[in-house]
Amino acid sequence: MSSTRTGAGRVLVAVYGVFALAATARSLVQLLTKAEEAPVAYALSAVAALVYVAATVGLAEVGPQPRRLAWAAVGFELVGVLTVGTLTVLDPELFPDATVWSAYGAGYGWLPLVLPFAGIAWLLRTAAGASSSVA
Amino acid sequence: MDGPLPLALIAASLAFTVVVLIYVALARTPDWGLLGFAGVIEAGTLALLVVAAAQVGDADLGGAGAITLFGYLLAGLALLPIGFVWSLAERSRGATAVLAVVGLTQAFVIVRTLQIWPS
Repeated sequence: MSSTRTGAGRVLVAVYGVFALAATARSLVQLLTKAEEAPVAYALSAVAALVYVAATVGLAEVGPQPRRLAWAAVGFELVGVLTVGTLTVLDPELFPDATVWSAYGAGYGWLPLVLPFAGIAWLLRTAAGASSSVA
Repeated sequence: MDGPLPLALIAASLAFTVVVLIYVALARTPDWGLLGFAGVIEAGTLALLVVAAAQVGDADLGGAGAITLFGYLLAGLALLPIGFVWSLAERSRGATAVLAVVGLTQAFVIVRTLQIWPS
């Protein structure tokens, strides 16, 4: 099976790693210092952080289990950014404070919207590489 | 924090990113020159951390501002070494391009510290 962490996958892992670090640190500070101000938004940020960590680990490791983890993470990420993004565009006052997925990740240059598509494309490409190498 | 150091670091990080992209375009792998460039940025980030630590007592950062500030600065110190380790583990354009992500992130981190620091 083709590795998800070689070639362009190395850049993808790096970007996911940066998001994992940033989202984890941000949500920890939010939850530890002002959780009562926007508990739902900060809990969502913490969930996003876990998803980014899972995606980073899943894409950086080699094997069927990490690949399944990566699929689950980027799938959850896609659903999360589309759901939270749509809700916050329809009702900007929904959360007292922004999450990483608010307005489809506009606060992060829409990278949170682009990343899951890039992740899925890379997982499909490396899976296709695996099947073509068998053939 | 009010001096030229943060702006110089932002400029250096962006220049580092451009140099890395040229390396990627030419299919060159990271060399000692690139490592030295990164070392200068790393030393500058360390100096910025020291300056921030020396001046934070007089700054009105409020609440979680100080935690966030030093979180960004410590992340800025870790980015380049981790990025180089991840990049040098493989010889490919993708692996070299990792350093462009690191350079851009480094610039973003310094911009965020400037935004947090009271003007």
